[in-house]
Amino acid sequence: MTEDLAANIRPNLGARTPLRSAGGHRIEVQGLSSGYHGQPILHDVSFTMEEPAIYVILGPNGAGKTTLFRTLAGILQPYRGTIRIDGIETGRGRTASRLQYLSHIDGFPDGLRVVEGLRFYAAVEGVPASEADRVIQLLGIEPLRDRFFSELSAGQKKRCSVARVFLQERGIYLLDEPTSNLDPKLAREIRDLVLGLSRNDLVLYSSHNLFEAKEIGKYVLALRDGKVGYFGLLSELRPARYVIGVRATGAEGILPADSKRGEYYLQELAGPEEVPKLVAELAAKGVQIREVKEMENPLEDLFT
Amino acid sequence: MLEGITIRRTLLIGWRYLAIGTAMGLLLTVILLESSKNPNVTFPSTFPLEVPIFAVLGATGGLMTFSSDRTKGVLEYLLAYGVPPRTLFTNGLLATAALSGIILGLILSLGLVVAVAKGVPMTEGLWKSIALYTIPMSFASALFTSTVGMIWSSISTPRTGMNSPVGIAPMVGVGPTVLVLILAEGVPSSEYYEVTVGAALLLVAAVLALVSLSARLLGRERFLSPL
Repeated sequence: MTEDLAANIRPNLGARTPLRSAGGHRIEVQGLSSGYHGQPILHDVSFTMEEPAIYVILGPNGAGKTTLFRTLAGILQPYRGTIRIDGIETGRGRTASRLQYLSHIDGFPDGLRVVEGLRFYAAVEGVPASEADRVIQLLGIEPLRDRFFSELSAGQKKRCSVARVFLQERGIYLLDEPTSNLDPKLAREIRDLVLGLSRNDLVLYSSHNLFEAKEIGKYVLALRDGKVGYFGLLSELRPARYVIGVRATGAEGILPADSKRGEYYLQELAGPEEVPKLVAELAAKGVQIREVKEMENPLEDLFT
Repeated sequence: MLEGITIRRTLLIGWRYLAIGTAMGLLLTVILLESSKNPNVTFPSTFPLEVPIFAVLGATGGLMTFSSDRTKGVLEYLLAYGVPPRTLFTNGLLATAALSGIILGLILSLGLVVAVAKGVPMTEGLWKSIALYTIPMSFASALFTSTVGMIWSSISTPRTGMNSPVGIAPMVGVGPTVLVLILAEGVPSSEYYEVTVGAALLLVAAVLALVSLSARLLGRERFLSPL
């Protein structure tokens, strides 16, 4: 089902926004300082995003990820610096209509059933109420349609909250921890939907799950103490230590026994370019290699 | 459009308070008529003073909706959709006013029907009290309650139940009307309108002052969920 969703989501959404061309969106942040009650959380943050892709926003708790999302969404006003969304400075134009924001809080009105909550947001967005049923179908939450939101599990609430994002197409998506509280299968479905969006749109995606971030992100923006620690292609990140795990039979006496962790012999190399050489050497010595995998996630270094 | 949605949701959330407020208001009206030795005198002087108390109770849904929307993150989404903080605040007040109007209409119409059925004459003084005190004081008390509660819930950490702004603000809100009820008993009839109408005007001024103060007290981050 998820592959179908990912494949179909672009034509589904595109039909409703004829003025939009593929891509062409841009977020430009210059010297941004923002926070709460006069206390800055973000300090002198600058970046530009214009290539349609998933930009993973990483950082430890308190680094400023949610503050960044809230400021980009226009919820918080910058203390200093500027944000331009598609060339329009926030606070000086209607940038809200260009963004779709998913908070880490579900944001469903109290006392409403799922379909009523989605119709509430459809009305706020100015789209027909029937769109609520479309996104319910899109997210596969038909069994939850007439249930009270307050009665749902955390994972079910998250799915309903994510459904809201698809009520109307926007060019820029700010998704704050969209897969938190979801089991792996549902998290995969949401990721597939987000991947569908990223073909033409800018998707900013925060997550604490480094493996998820590595899987879907093209770019990474790492925040540390409210400042940009790294912004660039995820593929260009290299871990401080390059460690691979080799699962093999017949490696006793060839690979050090004390390097074995579970099924894997851990080997520290200078970089991925040394992997073929190691594999060839082991094969030449009669070792039957079942699997070779990277044991370190380069994103982990951004958290330390 | 958002105003209409907010009012509909407020009715959905606050209908129990509306029903309880109306029922209590009517019950007290019946008790007043039945227990008084001379209802033709006591009804016109007491009924107009009691109604605002129930308007405060019946309009609690407005404050409940605002407080719940803040905690649940609904206000955060509305800000992201470009709704200004001032509109979020005034929508809460509009919803409160709508509920006040409903309960006021219900208690006044039903209460007066019961009084007429009991043979109480509809005097000019009764109509004057309703027009000059009951109606403005009902709206002002309910809006005072909501304004105090909304500001309070926005600047304090979240609590639930009676120990929360939603639980305490209505008690604060009925304070002025209870005070007028007590004061009106002790003043000569010639000063009755000065006391009641003066109190209503004072409360309207207090509401206006609080609303204008709210713009300075409530920055955008005050509308975010503390969760």
